[in-house]
Amino acid sequence: MKRVMYVILILVLVLGLLKACIRRDIPDTNTEKAVTTREQKIIFPEDRKTVTIKGADYLESQAPIGKFGGTFTASTIGEGPKTFNPFNSKDNISSAMSEIMYDGLLTTHPVTGQPIPKLAKSFSISENGKEYTINLRHGIKWSDGKPITADDVVFTWRDIILAGLGNTSIRDSIVIDGKLPTVHKIDDYTVKFVTPEPFAPFIRMLSSPIAPKHIFEPAVKKGAQYFETFLSTNTKPKDLVISGAFKLKEYVPAQRVVYERNPNYYIINKNGDKLPYLDRLVYLIVGDLNNEVLKFEAKELDTINLQGSKVARYKAMEPHSDFTIHNLGPNTGTIYLAMNLNNRKNNDGKFYVPPKKQAWFNDINFRKAVDYAVDRKNIVLNIANGIGEPLFTAESLNSIFLNTNLKPYDKDLNKSRELLKKSGFYWDKQGRLYDKFNNRVEFDMLTNAGNTEREAIGVMIKQDLEDLGMKVNFKPIEFNSLVNKLVNTLHWDMVIMGFTGSPLEPNGGKNVMMSDGTLHVYNMRLEKDKNSPRYDFEKKIDEMFIKGALATKFEDRKKYYDEYQKIIYDEKPFVYIYSPTVIVAIRDKFKNIFPTSLGGVTYNIEEIYICESPEKCYSELISESKNQ
Amino acid sequence: MKEVLRQLLKDKFARLALIVLGLIYLALFFADFLAPYTKDFSDRTMAYVPPSKIFTIDENGKFSRPYTYNYIREFDQNTLEMTYKLDRSQKYYLKFFSQGQPYKFLGLIPMKRHLVTVAPEGRLFLLGTDINGRDVFSRLLFGGRISMTIGFLALFVLFPIGLLYGGISGYLGGKVDTVMMRFAEAVMSVPSFYLLIILASILPSGMTSIQRFILIVVILALIGWASFARVVRGMVLSIKNQEFVQAAKSIGQSRLGIIVKHILPQTTSFVIVAMTLSVPSYILSESGLSFLGLGIQQPDASWGNMLKEAQEFTNIIYRPWLLTPGFLIFVAVLAFNLIGDTIRDVLDPKSRVR
Amino acid sequence: MEILKYIFKRILQTIPLLIIVSLISFFIIRLSPVDPLAELRLNPSVSKETLEKETQRLGLDKPIIIQYGKWAKSFIKGDLGITSNGEQVSTKLKERIPNTLLLTVVVIFLTWAAGIPLGILAALKWKTPFDRILTVLTSVGMAIPSFFFAVLLLIFAVRTGWFPVGGLTSANFADMGFFSQVKDIAHHLFLPVIVLFTISLAGLQRQMRANMLDVLDSDYVKFARAKGLNEFKVVYKHALRNAVNPLITLLGFEFAGLLSGAALTEYVFQYPGLGRLILEAVLKSDINLVMASLMMGAIMLILGNLIADILLIITDPRIRVKS
Repeated sequence: MKRVMYVILILVLVLGLLKACIRRDIPDTNTEKAVTTREQKIIFPEDRKTVTIKGADYLESQAPIGKFGGTFTASTIGEGPKTFNPFNSKDNISSAMSEIMYDGLLTTHPVTGQPIPKLAKSFSISENGKEYTINLRHGIKWSDGKPITADDVVFTWRDIILAGLGNTSIRDSIVIDGKLPTVHKIDDYTVKFVTPEPFAPFIRMLSSPIAPKHIFEPAVKKGAQYFETFLSTNTKPKDLVISGAFKLKEYVPAQRVVYERNPNYYIINKNGDKLPYLDRLVYLIVGDLNNEVLKFEAKELDTINLQGSKVARYKAMEPHSDFTIHNLGPNTGTIYLAMNLNNRKNNDGKFYVPPKKQAWFNDINFRKAVDYAVDRKNIVLNIANGIGEPLFTAESLNSIFLNTNLKPYDKDLNKSRELLKKSGFYWDKQGRLYDKFNNRVEFDMLTNAGNTEREAIGVMIKQDLEDLGMKVNFKPIEFNSLVNKLVNTLHWDMVIMGFTGSPLEPNGGKNVMMSDGTLHVYNMRLEKDKNSPRYDFEKKIDEMFIKGALATKFEDRKKYYDEYQKIIYDEKPFVYIYSPTVIVAIRDKFKNIFPTSLGGVTYNIEEIYICESPEKCYSELISESKNQ
Repeated sequence: MKEVLRQLLKDKFARLALIVLGLIYLALFFADFLAPYTKDFSDRTMAYVPPSKIFTIDENGKFSRPYTYNYIREFDQNTLEMTYKLDRSQKYYLKFFSQGQPYKFLGLIPMKRHLVTVAPEGRLFLLGTDINGRDVFSRLLFGGRISMTIGFLALFVLFPIGLLYGGISGYLGGKVDTVMMRFAEAVMSVPSFYLLIILASILPSGMTSIQRFILIVVILALIGWASFARVVRGMVLSIKNQEFVQAAKSIGQSRLGIIVKHILPQTTSFVIVAMTLSVPSYILSESGLSFLGLGIQQPDASWGNMLKEAQEFTNIIYRPWLLTPGFLIFVAVLAFNLIGDTIRDVLDPKSRVR
Repeated sequence: MEILKYIFKRILQTIPLLIIVSLISFFIIRLSPVDPLAELRLNPSVSKETLEKETQRLGLDKPIIIQYGKWAKSFIKGDLGITSNGEQVSTKLKERIPNTLLLTVVVIFLTWAAGIPLGILAALKWKTPFDRILTVLTSVGMAIPSFFFAVLLLIFAVRTGWFPVGGLTSANFADMGFFSQVKDIAHHLFLPVIVLFTISLAGLQRQMRANMLDVLDSDYVKFARAKGLNEFKVVYKHALRNAVNPLITLLGFEFAGLLSGAALTEYVFQYPGLGRLILEAVLKSDINLVMASLMMGAIMLILGNLIADILLIITDPRIRVKS
């Protein structure tokens, strides 16, 4: 009996295997997928304007009128906020989470990128570019009902920002020749800032949050040490006094941040009702991209940023789903490859980079040869699944300062070989590359381990360079050790990394581009080397950055920043690879969504409202407007 | 020993497990030959290609030698989707035992023959490809070499240390014993997984893949020796007063000699049980480390770091072939567990080893 | 009195242990080339001055031994220091420990509730197909890499919509009534508990089986049987008590083991527990946080063992307090 069973079992197995081996070749019938795109033309509302009602200068939203109520759930990746004090935040998430609650004097126009008033009613810059006069709104209030006045502005700037409390990055970025701008109260609703020199990037700094004096002053008086812990994540939400659209309601560590609407907010709709529409804003703290996708899929999230292959999945789902996908174009991220151009010695008298390698990396032909070997097209296709753009410039592709004259090109190994030949490199019979001093070309290429995309880029570039006969030891290492190498020990050859830039202000990248910057990766100077000789092109870039910051007109500044991009494009200290494209999905029930490349999707969070079914809420709206 | 083997073969599950493990190790041994491609071969125009379709009946409905088509990848600007179509213009017949990519068998003998290949322009991806267009099937074989040996190697480092440490501590007793055991307990008191990742994260970066492999073995061993040493010490304590040890002492053998020659051999059955039972936990540890990006690094393959790609939701849904390393880890660990259980039941049914 | 003296002595013994643990951990972490400020350094908008301030605050400019001394001194005073982000380590731990305790206690409770009966059954049916199949089944649970299992379960949750995707509470948790809150937490705990349960069940079941076999083989059980007591009584009255005793010792280890074993599961499920916190801290080389968590783990383990020993003395009068 048992034996029969075995025989049958084996027969079934064999038959199964045979079945698997026999497959008929039937040509596919061409099933063209009908693509139904739901391209809705987005009509941007007119710019907001100030209206005065009963002595209060409100900011009137021009977007369609919506319905009040509801919750919007977004996500933040990582560990969540470390503080709710906008002046202490040292990481992006803390800044974002605290800046929801504190508005700045100015903000950025979501389409043009120009500075526009927000908490301020209006502003003007003097002819000489040194004086900034800010007119404040009358009659607008903090969340506790106290008025927002010039005292708050002066206090924030003089006693917090310029005094160097908390994170001093704003202060450090506006020091001009060791001098700081000054701030003056003209009257209760007028403030004047004076910079020692004309300094164009200053205007962007005016979008920094403004603090309520009556809450912050006691903390400031207790000194810098106390201020570090002021408004930490353990603060009771009711102790926060804010000016923004939403106020903290609850913070659950490692899980979520919940905000509720600020009933005293100064932006109103065309009916004169105070915004925001939403009752509640929730940020779920998710650990990684993957979990974020799962949460969106499970409808726990209302919006999500999509990368790579996920885009295709959602695009396919879009026509019969409850969300819309917006393509916001390339983001501010730049992924690049850099070679260590350091030609100095460390404290032990040894070169950071061995001399033979220095000779290669400092050879422009070598750098260009590497550049031509980078297969940007396939990198975008494979690694970003086509959701990205090849990158050739130092400024990100959505920057308003982008130099559009710098043309892209394809991978060209022949050109690389020519360039190498020109510099005296040669190949042996096995195709191995040697320099003119008969040194085998071999170096390490690093990137941060755990980042699948960068690891995959590394694998591709390694192959391309090995096609040129170089020997590349590709080593993904732990992120923190990598950074340590890049900025402290300086012992590395080639690296693949990424930066996030600012689309509005190239001066924000001066730490990277200027030769004494703290992130001048390709030729990092430690304290002892601060005065070491610069390369010619480094000098030129420094010059462009200094001039660019001091010029006041956009056109003038653009010229300088175009020039710096051209220098980088020609000299290749950074070989830029690609910029991912920002694709955002958001549930359809949210209305007043006007996505832009600069602002993203939720920059107008106070205007966003919920409408579950169009017929219903339109009729309601119509009846509402009839009643009025 | 014979008894163990007999029992293993008698037990249905253990027999199956032995066969499975045997097949896996055999395949890993002949990986170069079985894999159609080398570990690092990649065709970047073929990233994330699904497994090759192999046809045995041609388009006219006639039997044919098995053949396959290449895929063409297209990016659709409208749907933002990557599509893979068969390129039916060219058939590639499977060739058995023919020349393919050159390799060195076992790192020594240069060879070119592969079990199955296609013409150089054709692509035979039995289990599809990964993000870099590398053949998953080939990488599974090469990655398995690392994943399936790392546990054993760790044991070979760990056991001598544990045996000696436990032996010395137990035999000498007194203050030495107290100090040595306190130290071992301290090592045990550090939560092992964290110790593991701390150690892995301090590995210097400028290492070749072989150095990295060896260091990970050492780290895995560093985690496990203490508890092993403690049990050995307990056994030694009970053995050391037995007559044959006293006898050895009386003929003036050195202490180390007594420990190594007379006491430790008495622990053999325990050692075997502990060994078979701890191999799977090392395989799992390695995969966990690689999952966090701290283990074996790209471009080298291990089952753990291949599985990292399977973290992604879209990969699991659209590219199930990337899950195969997880499946293999499961099968291998299960097989080891089944064998371990049987051995334990035979040698030491009341064992406290888990 | 005797017991109190014993406890006191045991606590004294743990002090050198803790010192060694802290020394090992501290030096290993500080040996690493990892820079705790790396994230700040790579942020173009963070200035040099800020970085210098942070370096001084964390004492990174001093030799290791002095750093250790500083750390140990404040640790004894109960000050756990601040994380590399400037938060109090103690508050961070306080946030997470209850969550981890919750998860661990539930898992231990379930594994014991299932593992012990299964172990007894397996031992009673030793060498029968039932025993064998049970072992195989629990082996299957042990063989799946925990992170892989967790990922698969998450996908399952998304596909079916039956379970929330990670986390511990829903967004509107604060507005719920007490019973819905309990339900909400249970709902969230379900999947992580399943993963940890499947993984730790096998060990306990085997242990119990081995103990039971041991006891069933002992003289007094043979004697009881010989006396003609019925089998049920022999097993449940005499054998069981003695077989469970050694397991109590295991409790301490199990507790610490879960702390360590749960890390990957917590990581995948985004569970706000200690494991995920330590994992992230280790990856960032956030020394104060890692040190505090490791010491926490060590103390938990030692405490667990101590409690187990005390329980043993109480339950088993045969064990005399040894000096």
